[in-house]
Amino acid sequence: MMEHTIFNVIFVERWQWWAGGIALGLTVPLFYLFFNTALGVSTGYGNLVKIALHPKKLRWFNSEKFSDVWNWRFFFMAGIITGGFLSSILSGEFSLKFFMDEFTGFIQMPFTVSFFYMFFGGLLLGLGSRIAGGCTSGHSIHGISQLHFPSIIITIFFILFGAAGANIVRLIFTGRGI
Amino acid sequence: MNLQKAAFLLMGVYFGFVLCRTGVSDFRLIYGFFTGINFTLAGVMGVAIATAFAGMRILKVKNKTLQGEPLKIDYKGLHRLSLLGAAIFGLGWGMTGSCPGTVLVQLGEGKIPVLFTFAGLGTGTWLYAFLLEKRK
Repeated sequence: MMEHTIFNVIFVERWQWWAGGIALGLTVPLFYLFFNTALGVSTGYGNLVKIALHPKKLRWFNSEKFSDVWNWRFFFMAGIITGGFLSSILSGEFSLKFFMDEFTGFIQMPFTVSFFYMFFGGLLLGLGSRIAGGCTSGHSIHGISQLHFPSIIITIFFILFGAAGANIVRLIFTGRGI
Repeated sequence: MNLQKAAFLLMGVYFGFVLCRTGVSDFRLIYGFFTGINFTLAGVMGVAIATAFAGMRILKVKNKTLQGEPLKIDYKGLHRLSLLGAAIFGLGWGMTGSCPGTVLVQLGEGKIPVLFTFAGLGTGTWLYAFLLEKRK
C-alpha cells in the first residue's frame, strides 16, 4: 500500500476526476487573465506544419495567424509535451510504449499496419478540427464554458462520432458490437 | 525567449501535467468513455467546464486582464461545414484515442504509436489548407 505523502498524492497517484477537472478548467480564466487569449491547441499544428514544410503556395499559412510561427502556440505545445514527460518521469511510469492497450491491443494487425491506422486517425483529427474551427480544448472546454451555442453542438458531434468511431473499429476487428 | 513565451511554456507544462495526472491521456479512459464502460472523462470535462465558467464569471466582474485590458472573448461561429468537421474529428478521436492536446501529452509519456497520430494531425492540417486553396 502506497503511503499518502503529499508527493505521492500529487505526483504518483492518479488524481481524482473532480480535482483534475478543476485544475484543467482553471486554464481558461488563467489564459485570459495573463494573456487575454482563448485556450486552444489545434491551431498550433498550423505553426508546426509551416515550420516543417514552408508551404509558400497555400495562402492559409500566410494568414496573420501564422505570421510568427514561433508565437505562443508553439511554446504552449512544447510545454504540453514537457508536462506529460515530467509527470510520467515523476510518477515512475515513463517508458517507451509500443502498444496502445485497448486501441490497438484488440486489433489483430501487424505493428507496421497499426501505424497507418494511427496516421489516418490523426489525419481525420487534423482535418476535422480545422473545418470545425477548434478541438476539445477550444470548443469543448473554452467554448462550452462561455455557453457558446456552436461549441455545444460541435462537442455533441465530437462525442457522438467518437463513440461511433471506437465502436465501428471494435466491430470490424473483433466482431463485437456495443 | 521573452517572458510571455516562457509563461506560455509553463502554462503548457501545467496543462500537460494535469492531463496526464488525471488520466485523460490514458487510452483505456478514452476507450472506456466511447464504449460506455467508464465515464471518468465525462466527469473531468464536466468539472473543467464548470470551473472555467465560474472562473470566467469572476474575471468578468472587473473585466480586466493583468495588464488592465478589457477581456477579448473568442467566439467560434458555426458555418456550413462545421458539423461535418466535427464528425470527421470525432471519428479520428474514436479511432486513435487521442485529441490534439493529449497527443502531445502522450508523446511526452513515450507512447510511440502516437508519433504517427501526430504526423497525421500535421498532414490533416496541411490537407485543410490544400483543400481551401482548391475551393477558391
